[in-house]
Amino acid sequence: MTTTIHTEDLNVYFERNHALIDVTMDIQNNQVTAVIGPSGCGKSTFIRCINRMNDLIPGCVVKGKVLVDGEDVNDDKVDVVDVRRRIGMVFQKPNPFPKSIYENVAYAPRLHGVTEVVDGKVRRRKHTKKELDEIVERSLRRAALWEEVKDRLDKSGMSLSGGQQQRLCIARTLSIDPEIILFDEPCSALDPIATSKIEDLLVDLKKDYTVIIVTHSMQQAARISDRTAFFYLGKMIEMGDTKQIFERPQMELTEQYITGRMG
Amino acid sequence: MDRKLKEMLFFSAFRGCALLVVLSLVVLMWYIATGGLERLSWDFLTEMPRRANTEGGILPAIVGTFYLMLIVLAVSVPIGVMSAIYLVEYEQSSWMGRVFKLAVYNLAGVPSIVYGLLGLGIFVAFLGFGFSLMSAGLTLSIMTLPLMISAAREAIAAVPQSVREASLALGATKWQTIWHHVLPYALPGIFTGIILSVSRAAGETAPLMLTGVAMSLQRLPDGFFDSFMALPYHIFYMATQSSNLLATRPIQYATALVLLLLVLGMNLVAIVMRKRYRDRYKW
Repeated sequence: MTTTIHTEDLNVYFERNHALIDVTMDIQNNQVTAVIGPSGCGKSTFIRCINRMNDLIPGCVVKGKVLVDGEDVNDDKVDVVDVRRRIGMVFQKPNPFPKSIYENVAYAPRLHGVTEVVDGKVRRRKHTKKELDEIVERSLRRAALWEEVKDRLDKSGMSLSGGQQQRLCIARTLSIDPEIILFDEPCSALDPIATSKIEDLLVDLKKDYTVIIVTHSMQQAARISDRTAFFYLGKMIEMGDTKQIFERPQMELTEQYITGRMG
Repeated sequence: MDRKLKEMLFFSAFRGCALLVVLSLVVLMWYIATGGLERLSWDFLTEMPRRANTEGGILPAIVGTFYLMLIVLAVSVPIGVMSAIYLVEYEQSSWMGRVFKLAVYNLAGVPSIVYGLLGLGIFVAFLGFGFSLMSAGLTLSIMTLPLMISAAREAIAAVPQSVREASLALGATKWQTIWHHVLPYALPGIFTGIILSVSRAAGETAPLMLTGVAMSLQRLPDGFFDSFMALPYHIFYMATQSSNLLATRPIQYATALVLLLLVLGMNLVAIVMRKRYRDRYKW
């Protein structure tokens, strides 16, 4: 296993609030890594450091390193747009655009265009209609939504059920083929059936992508993740193989949390 | 008191108040229409006024008000929308943003005659635009700016943050996010702002008196730096300054009717456009 993401002494402050304290951890390629912990422990803040979504919050200061493939995402030379293109994110509440299903998935490819090398020169051009159609179909298939929507691609993404909307958001993320996908409690607004569909999908996605999921459900972490990190009050308390974390936690706090005596 | 009776009483009170609003509009329209319809004719709309406005039509006033609305549209809308974007997307909670918001609120409370003085000082005298459509139009634009900004700001702020996050997380820049998502989704609300602003500008009288409105012209303005007539001032003039008040009463009514129809017509266009945009995006 190779390391994709390495954080070192990562600290995050919101005004006076020290939200993340000295987080140093490694996240491996092609695995599902779960981040668990009670509300307000900093787990969402942590994954939002990886694609720099915290930049959007006024008064938020990030210190320390977040290395993705050896490159610090906070480096001045790094383009945040490029970071977010390579690191996709699926949010807690499904947030499709109020446009058609097709437009939802085609938006990001259109945005970035096709970069190709012609006669040794790097050129950017628009997708052809056929290429876009292919991307939309491939992404929707990969998100296990194609069969349900293939006859109504022109209908609004908002007309889908909650679970379908979330899979549409996943398809939208997959449309530009990121390397890493961050999931911020993707099932917290979904019913159990929709949840299990998303969980199956996540396990399937790790073949091609590095998956990090924040979840408040320990069962979910146990079901789908390879490694689990436990956060408490802004600190990363313990990280290890999921099996080990749930069966033989090394830290007292972790044990208290997973046995339900805390949080 | 009996609960059911109370329920009935309050419901009736609420409905009564709402009906009062509708009733006011109906009475107003009926009053203006009955007074003005007899004088309203094709000639009235297309002819120049004659004999100190006691005869003839009101074409210069219609054209003048139309041009004023055009200037307000061209100046107030882009500046209003752009500053609203700046306020919501860039300076939401900063020191600059608070100062800006305070300025907008206070600007909204300034009486229109004071705007007239401002226009007289800045546009007519300082910038040398003279007593002209341009001076009056720019004065009205500044006056309606707070209205436009407030409406646009509300519409832009009402676009859910989650949509912005979705777009940014896909690698869109802030500008792309605003252009592709925030503005299109806010457009219906912005149209509401346009309706309010332009209607307000069309009906305003006081600032015009200081910036170039004419009592009577036998010609149309030949450009934006010429003096002009305007419908609301025409009504004011006929009702207070005319040499024969009674004889011109039908003209006053008919002019008021034209002004109302002009504003309502504008609103109708905006409402249709608002509906089209609202239907384009299904929430």
